[in-house]
Amino acid sequence: MIEFKNVNYIHVNGIQALKEINLSIKPKTINALVGSNGTGKTTLARHINGLLKPTSGNVLVFGKNTKKISVASLSKRIGMVFQNSNHQLFADTVKNEILFGLNNFETDSQIKKNRFEWALNFFDLKKYENTSPLKLSGGEKKRLCIASVLAWNPEVLILDEPTVGQDQVQKEKMLKFISNLNKQGKTIIIISHDLEFLWPLKPNTIVMAKGRIKKTGKMTDIFSDDELLNQTCLMRPQLLDLWMKLNIKEEPPGDITEATDAIRRINGS
Amino acid sequence: MKEKSIIKFENFSFRYDSANEFILKNINLEINKNELVILAGPTGCGKSTLLRSIIGLIPHMHGGEYKGRVIVDQLVVNDVKITDLAKKAGFVFQNPENQIFMFSIERDIVFGLENLGTSRTIMKERVDSILSLLKIEHLATKAPHELSDGEKQKAALAGILAMQPKILILDEPTSLLDPKTAIDFINIVNDLRKKIGMTIVIVEHRLDLVVGIADKLIILSNGKIIENNNPKQVLHYSNQLIPEIGIPVISRLYRNLAKSNYDFDNVIVTVKDMVKEMRRKKFND
Amino acid sequence: MVVKMYWISKGFIFTKVDSFVHKLDPRVKLLISIQFFTLALLVSDLIDLAIIFIGIILLASISKILSRLIRTMLFALLFSGIILGINIIAGYSFIYSLQIALRFVAIVCSTSIFFLITSPDELEYVLRWFRIPNDLVFAFVTAVRFVPIILLDALQIIDAQKSRGLELERGNPITRIKNFVPILVPLIVNEVIRSGELAEAMESRCYGVVKKPTVLYELQLNINDKLAIPFCTSIFILGLLFSI
Ligand SMILES: Nc1ncnc2c1ncn2[C@@H]1O[C@H](COP(=O)(O)OP(=O)(O)OP(=O)(O)O)[C@@H](O)[C@H]1O
Ligand SMILES: Nc1ncnc2c1ncn2[C@@H]1O[C@H](COP(=O)(O)OP(=O)(O)OP(=O)(O)O)[C@@H](O)[C@H]1O
Ligand SMILES: [Mg+2]
Ligand SMILES: [Mg+2]
Repeated sequence: MIEFKNVNYIHVNGIQALKEINLSIKPKTINALVGSNGTGKTTLARHINGLLKPTSGNVLVFGKNTKKISVASLSKRIGMVFQNSNHQLFADTVKNEILFGLNNFETDSQIKKNRFEWALNFFDLKKYENTSPLKLSGGEKKRLCIASVLAWNPEVLILDEPTVGQDQVQKEKMLKFISNLNKQGKTIIIISHDLEFLWPLKPNTIVMAKGRIKKTGKMTDIFSDDELLNQTCLMRPQLLDLWMKLNIKEEPPGDITEATDAIRRINGS
Repeated sequence: MKEKSIIKFENFSFRYDSANEFILKNINLEINKNELVILAGPTGCGKSTLLRSIIGLIPHMHGGEYKGRVIVDQLVVNDVKITDLAKKAGFVFQNPENQIFMFSIERDIVFGLENLGTSRTIMKERVDSILSLLKIEHLATKAPHELSDGEKQKAALAGILAMQPKILILDEPTSLLDPKTAIDFINIVNDLRKKIGMTIVIVEHRLDLVVGIADKLIILSNGKIIENNNPKQVLHYSNQLIPEIGIPVISRLYRNLAKSNYDFDNVIVTVKDMVKEMRRKKFND
Repeated sequence: MVVKMYWISKGFIFTKVDSFVHKLDPRVKLLISIQFFTLALLVSDLIDLAIIFIGIILLASISKILSRLIRTMLFALLFSGIILGINIIAGYSFIYSLQIALRFVAIVCSTSIFFLITSPDELEYVLRWFRIPNDLVFAFVTAVRFVPIILLDALQIIDAQKSRGLELERGNPITRIKNFVPILVPLIVNEVIRSGELAEAMESRCYGVVKKPTVLYELQLNINDKLAIPFCTSIFILGLLFSI
């Protein structure tokens, strides 16, 4: 669905941020893009909805070359939420913020109404419908940004560092939103350094290093590889670490409840 | 007589001009010399506000209703200029974007030193050592807008570390760093603390990075300090742990197991502790 | 049109380029720019102007900034068109009006070339070297610094809003103006927050503690600079003689 073919990207200052990227992202999957600082994750994500065009090579999205279509028309199917919420919030009320993208992409007023209601409820923003976005807390602002993108029902959602500045409760809410969205058939791409946050999602993981893709695969496989972790500045999520250190053969648990059950089961027998 | 505490809040309350309610309510807090203290709490609970009042940005740059006193290294914050406090305390803000502004990172790193009239040789030494300490030599001559998000954060940290302050205040300093760099950074400041003597106050949502080395964990909620104790104590025995706190996964597992009548002989904060404990219990033999 | 404006404005953002000219001492860069500026002010006939343009374009190509200078040039041409028009309406001859208009472009180019090869940090060094008071230097340099910051923010915001389906070029003139709201509002909010936080960051790094802050590097002329000065100056003098 999203294909990178020999993509290279060179910034104006001559820094080559992407080197020979070949990547293919399948529909309805959750994908995590991880790697050390400055390896080109954000640069790669900006290629998917055409904000950046490859210096050489091609990015194909739904079979179309990003060089040939506008960002706005790509965005109808690819929603991107940026790191800094202040860069996109502008409306006087939460309601109008959500309606902005919806009005740009959707003409049918009944669908519009339904989508709007859906976004407001799904993201727990009903009570803020008429407040100014600027009055929301950091976590709520982020949620509003995601809501305003998902309102027009794009098939792909790209999130750049969604957990920065969020407390545990907000992170858990976000986790639920993401896995529910995925169950509804959305393809999700998350860029994050917060591996503990990513772990329960069991994403397909893409590891980058120095502008290249180092390895892709299941999180369990990638994070079992000590040498890879060392080279790419990653750390093993604690539950996987525990499972490996205790030499437990069965599938590592996704969250604490599963872990507690597993330990009680193994130990109880 | 020698004072033990270096930062002291006495019945401190603060309300921003534009707000109706007090953000911080009757805070009494002492932070001792050379301690590493974690400050945690839900978003919007006033962590950054508390930090701002240590270095005098409150009340000197943010108007509002100010009650009580804050004393930093024997200076009463209200009575001195921000720059007097800035000589003692370095502050790394939450958003790196808005604190690096020189056109090359190396100039930004020495900005503070230049303002203090430090000699050129010392500045050059400091820049070189900080750049290699944080492994960012390749960024020295770049401009802020040419950096990735994490690189900006590293540059912001470097600018404060170069000043070698007595007190180091870090507002979510690792939020954009990759996991390895985040741990390295925490270790670097901890080593510095031991070597040159430094008091560190750090706001961090991910406690797994810091609980191992911190002396105290302070939890702020609804404008009040609800917990102020050794991190291990707090993580394991406190009944004040609100769900917003990012307790390390392993400690949450420990608490869950302990609830279901598992007895542990020791307090657990790392995976290693847990493995040891499980082995002792002949787990999986 | 809007997009073109942004394309032009990107030409104003200083980017460090690895070139012979960029490595020169900023005072030498200033000297060169002043020489071009003076010549542009003095000359009048079209042939001389053409020579100056060739000089400017040569300098720009050695500094590898030609493509960005051209953006500025186009920007200046827009205004020079207006100047040309006014002059002709005012009754001057076409040739004379053209000279005035092109001279304007040459002046703009010689100024903007200085900003394209000199970073704000270097500019600060030069101003300090002229012993301009610290506060003035800082105010000026901060202003110069802020231009690219705001432009870059604007570009980021445009990116964010384009990803939400904003098309600036759509609709009748009134909707087109309305299209700007989603860009202007976050830009203003953002700059207000930014300037507040920047002020905090500067204060907490002891800004203004000593009257005379030190600086990391001392300006020093190296061999290239020492060769560049007589070289450029002799061309300048030749140019002066030629034009008078
Ligand atoms: N606007 C820019 N101009 C020039 N170079 C840039 C620009 N943005 C990023 N870079 C450089 O490109 C490389 C990749 O940056 P990118 O932002 O994609 O990294 P990242 O993987 O997202 O890192 P982080 O985890 O720190 O956000 C870095 O070396 C960075 O310095
Ligand atoms: N300059 C200001 N003027 C008015 N109100 C403010 C100002 N700064 C912060 N506030 C408000 O004060 C409250 C506490 O803000 P503060 O930034 O201290 O929270 P925090 O604990 O640091 O949160 P976070 O974890 O999200 O950074 C928030 O409700 C915020 O909206
Ligand atoms: Mg990034
Ligand atoms: Mg804060």
